Amino acid sequence: MANIGAVSAAVAPRDALARARVRAALVPDLLVEARRVVNTVIAGWHGRRKRGIGENFWQFRPYVDGEAIARIDWRRSARDDHTYVRDREWEAAHTVWLWADPSASMLYQSKAASVSKESRALVLALALAELLSRSGERIAWPGLTDPFSARNGAERLAAQMLHMAHLPTRPDLSATKRFSDVVLISDFLDPVDETQEWLDTLATRGVRAHLIEIADPAEEEFPYAGRTEFQDPETGAKLTAGRAETLRDDYRTLYNARRDELSRWARKLGWSYTVNHTDRLASEALVRVHLAMSQGSR
Amino acid sequence: MGFLPLSFGLPAVLAGLLALPVIWWLLRLTPPKPQAEAFPPLKILARVLRKEETPHQSPWWLTLLRLAMAALIILALAEPVFNPRERVSTGGNAVAIVIDNGWAAAPDWAMRVATAERLIADAEAENAPVLLAFTVDAPNAEIGPFDAQAARERLNAAEAQPVPVDRAAAFARVAQAMTDMPNASVAVLSDGLASEADEAAFDALLADAGELIWASPQGVTEIGLTATANEPDAFVVEAVRPTSEVGPRQAMVAALDDRGRRIAEAQLSFGAGEAAATAAFTVPFELRNDFNSLAVDGEAQAGAVRVLDENARRRRVGLIAQGDGDVAQPLLSPLHYISRALVPFADLIEPTSADLGSAIPELLEQRPAMIVMADVGTLPDEAHAALVDWVDNGGTLVRFAGPRLAAAEPDEDLLPVRLRVGERALGGTLSWTEPQAIAEYPEGSPFADLTPPTDVTVSRQVLAEPTADIVERSWVNLADGTPLVTGARRGDGTLALFHITPQATWSNLPISGSFVELLRRLVQLSRNQGPGTAQAGNGEATLPPYRLIAADGSLVPPTPGARPLAVSAEAPVTIENPPGLYGSEEGVVAHNLLPADAVLEPIARPETPLAVRDVAYGFDEQVDLRGPLFAIALALMILDTLAVLWLGGKLRRPRAGRAVPAALALALVGAISMPDANAQEGDIRPGDEEAIAAISQTRIAYVLTGDSSIDAISRAGLEGLGRFLADKTALEPGEPVGVDIAEDELAFYPLVYWPIDEGAEMPSQAALARIDAYMQEGGTVLFDTRDQFGAGFDAGSASASTMRLRDILADMNVPPLEPVPDDHVLTKAFYILPEFPGRFNGSPLWVEASQTLEETADRPVRVGDGVSPIMITANDLAGAWAIGGNGAPMLPTVPADPMQRVHAYRAGVNIMMYMLTGNYKSDQVHVPSILERLGQ
Repeated sequence: MANIGAVSAAVAPRDALARARVRAALVPDLLVEARRVVNTVIAGWHGRRKRGIGENFWQFRPYVDGEAIARIDWRRSARDDHTYVRDREWEAAHTVWLWADPSASMLYQSKAASVSKESRALVLALALAELLSRSGERIAWPGLTDPFSARNGAERLAAQMLHMAHLPTRPDLSATKRFSDVVLISDFLDPVDETQEWLDTLATRGVRAHLIEIADPAEEEFPYAGRTEFQDPETGAKLTAGRAETLRDDYRTLYNARRDELSRWARKLGWSYTVNHTDRLASEALVRVHLAMSQGSR
Repeated sequence: MGFLPLSFGLPAVLAGLLALPVIWWLLRLTPPKPQAEAFPPLKILARVLRKEETPHQSPWWLTLLRLAMAALIILALAEPVFNPRERVSTGGNAVAIVIDNGWAAAPDWAMRVATAERLIADAEAENAPVLLAFTVDAPNAEIGPFDAQAARERLNAAEAQPVPVDRAAAFARVAQAMTDMPNASVAVLSDGLASEADEAAFDALLADAGELIWASPQGVTEIGLTATANEPDAFVVEAVRPTSEVGPRQAMVAALDDRGRRIAEAQLSFGAGEAAATAAFTVPFELRNDFNSLAVDGEAQAGAVRVLDENARRRRVGLIAQGDGDVAQPLLSPLHYISRALVPFADLIEPTSADLGSAIPELLEQRPAMIVMADVGTLPDEAHAALVDWVDNGGTLVRFAGPRLAAAEPDEDLLPVRLRVGERALGGTLSWTEPQAIAEYPEGSPFADLTPPTDVTVSRQVLAEPTADIVERSWVNLADGTPLVTGARRGDGTLALFHITPQATWSNLPISGSFVELLRRLVQLSRNQGPGTAQAGNGEATLPPYRLIAADGSLVPPTPGARPLAVSAEAPVTIENPPGLYGSEEGVVAHNLLPADAVLEPIARPETPLAVRDVAYGFDEQVDLRGPLFAIALALMILDTLAVLWLGGKLRRPRAGRAVPAALALALVGAISMPDANAQEGDIRPGDEEAIAAISQTRIAYVLTGDSSIDAISRAGLEGLGRFLADKTALEPGEPVGVDIAEDELAFYPLVYWPIDEGAEMPSQAALARIDAYMQEGGTVLFDTRDQFGAGFDAGSASASTMRLRDILADMNVPPLEPVPDDHVLTKAFYILPEFPGRFNGSPLWVEASQTLEETADRPVRVGDGVSPIMITANDLAGAWAIGGNGAPMLPTVPADPMQRVHAYRAGVNIMMYMLTGNYKSDQVHVPSILERLGQ
């Protein structure tokens, strides 16, 4: 009988990119509304509620002499005797840090899963990058790029990743600033206190983080039975269980306890915590994160 | 392993069992290989695992399983044998095997063969030649020495025979054969029953022998039937059992009829220590006559079967009277009451001649059991002597008194008592005595157990001279002590005299029920004197075998080896004369195995100074256990594999449970659906679509003549008729079809319209044969010559079309034709029509002549549903029916009468209805209403 799970080879970013675009097409354009004034270019929540350079309709106002004739909205003006100008809402960019866990444990994929965790994480990260950059947000990848704004942000990220031979297991999050969003995609299998210690820097900085836990169904369900030798893909440590099925309940209790603790902690900080299983669609997580970002901005 | 019938071919291998502890130790140390799994959340798992000790050793039951497997393999390698048989080492240089294959050996013959086979096998192992003899065998049978193979063949060819053994002869032959091989081992496989001259036979056999191997059944239990007797009140069968059997024993004896049906049964019970028993069938006399054989239940050997012949059956009774009574007054005939009384239970034979001198020998030739002489006085000397002889040999002569006897000289030889001359009268005008009643039957009389009648009186009788023995000869006395019926034994036979006439003149005894009882008892006392058809015996007469008793006790047709049985002497039961019935269907003689004085004595082992070894009969039950042991080990191995898989977590029920039925179901569905789909595809043939179109609607066909104008008219006519039919009737025919009679399938169409065109080519023979076949299969062809006015007025002349029609019909089986008679179904199938006009009027419509029942058998064309297979008209029906595209008639009628066209359509409707409904309208149910309408 074949193994339940396997550690797949690292996913090439180009392949992940293609799938990321597909995912991104499923979700409407995301306009990240920062709740607070972002101190990047023009800061301030209130500043956004005014006319400026943007794409969305804001108001019609009477034409004032001296303005460029081209700005007149002739369709509106034709309805009465006045001449109107269409104002658009000024849209400001927001910085979102994206990070997907590159550790070896992410390469795991069980038979029940459609993709490996690594693949799913990259897809989500790139989808978000595509989404955000299309909305004009500034995106960044800790340890890879500084914040940048580009229509093809996802492509650029992917290209950067291609050339980056080695990605650090734990990102250096010191570059993040206040009011920026951080999307962390990982399996969060490390002990909770370690994770919390690591993310505490973000919390102290007032950064809003979105944690996406990628979980493989085999990790959650523990479908193993019989005499089984378990091996940690990261450390190579081995454990042998005589009757693996007897461990299932205990294991699942611990596993879920970890997730509960982490998500409670995140919620306490006002962060979002999203679980995405690799046997489910990536877009589910994308929608939830999208929702978390938009809702969090209100 | 003394307590088990088990031995090992290679006991040394059993030492391998010592290795079991080592195997156990090794097995305990080696856990099954775990399934390696990558598992990222190992840290979490590690916290769980701390609680559990990982087993480093196999579970105890797995170890046990493997140990058992190893032990089984070691045991199997040691070549274990269950029920090992002892080897009979034949010390000598040859083995003589003498087997009793008499009747007593039949039930377990196979076991004897098996025992002998073992002896042969042992002899083969020592390369000793084998002498093989059977104690029932032809005197010139080959007895060897054989090699083992030949001996085996001969042994397997031998069978138990339903005859007694002849040890002396067989032993003598073996002894003779053994003279040149001294010290041979002699194996005697006896049947357990002693026979005469056993001692001498054994002495002769063992004279030169070196060793005696003695096999005798553990206990002989055969029951033999030794005699039967048809007693007056019961059919008695005597049976013996071996004298060695002492416990009480019960057995059922069944009486079977000539077809082997069980018609009666009786209980045989041997008391403790008794070797003989009798069983009585207390069944009606008539039923006893149907007994054909007797068999002891559960005994599959010939001794327990006895066949019965005429002696045990219905008696033949000869009737002799002098001066037959007037035929017109049968009640006065002397033999009337006798024959009426005897007919139910005896075969009556009467001589053809009235002359006693020839009548008596004629009767005696048929060997009757009893002869009844009604008032016969003096006999011719020769006949008298023959009768005396017959009585001495067991015949029963019953005589009735009468005037003639009373007047005759006393006949000592054929009368039981001396008679006084003359008779006495009791009662009457000149007598003071009263007619006498019958007294109680005296003790010692054959009728002693019968109840004497109370209403019988005797008014006249002949009187016996009082003699010293008159009392014991009196079988029936009158109330005053006068003998009425006297009897005496003469030689083996019996004489009986009724002192009255056989008519009701002297007494009313002949018309009472007691008369029947008395005669019946006398008949039962009598004995048949041999088969009626047997040639008069002067020593040479023989009877062919008819039904023989096989060794297993069943009755079988004669075997080739059976020889005819000499009638004269008491022939012994031999292999040439096996027991059974000899004779033919007319009469048989029973030739039974056991004589009446048979005693079944168990055989004793002969006293001999030789070394003697006892061998028990028995099948070779040696079983090689290697196979089963290996099989069990293999099963354990499979179990072990399954267990290892289970331990390794490879057998997860939910997944397997879901996948396997699904796969099975898939395979099943595939298996079912695949041939189905193929079958449907394979059914489709070219031309199917046309056929389906032809039969999905009722369509009328017309024959394509090749002349386009005629074909167009035919088509238009049938279209017009179809339209009329759709208008007026429930029938909506489809488009008319033009058929090429040489090519197209005609069977789809109920009617084929054939306009005869003299200009067209004559159809080929094959095409005509097709038309013929179509007609015979139930189709109908409507021939239309369309020449009603084309023919001359001369009755003999015929138009060209008619000539062509004649040519066509000349090659076909055309039934007799007639113009449609008035009462034909065609005239009333839908419309009531007196005639069938077309464009022309006047031509009759010819149909198959209505058959009377007698003629049905030899008709050349069979009609389906009584529909005429052929119709011929000259009226050009299609011409009248034909309509153009606008619905108007295409051709005028002749004469131009609109009603004629309507009638033509109606004729078409009637024809179609007749085609489709057959003779439905001729049903008598409709006759009254049709008649009523016809009458007005």
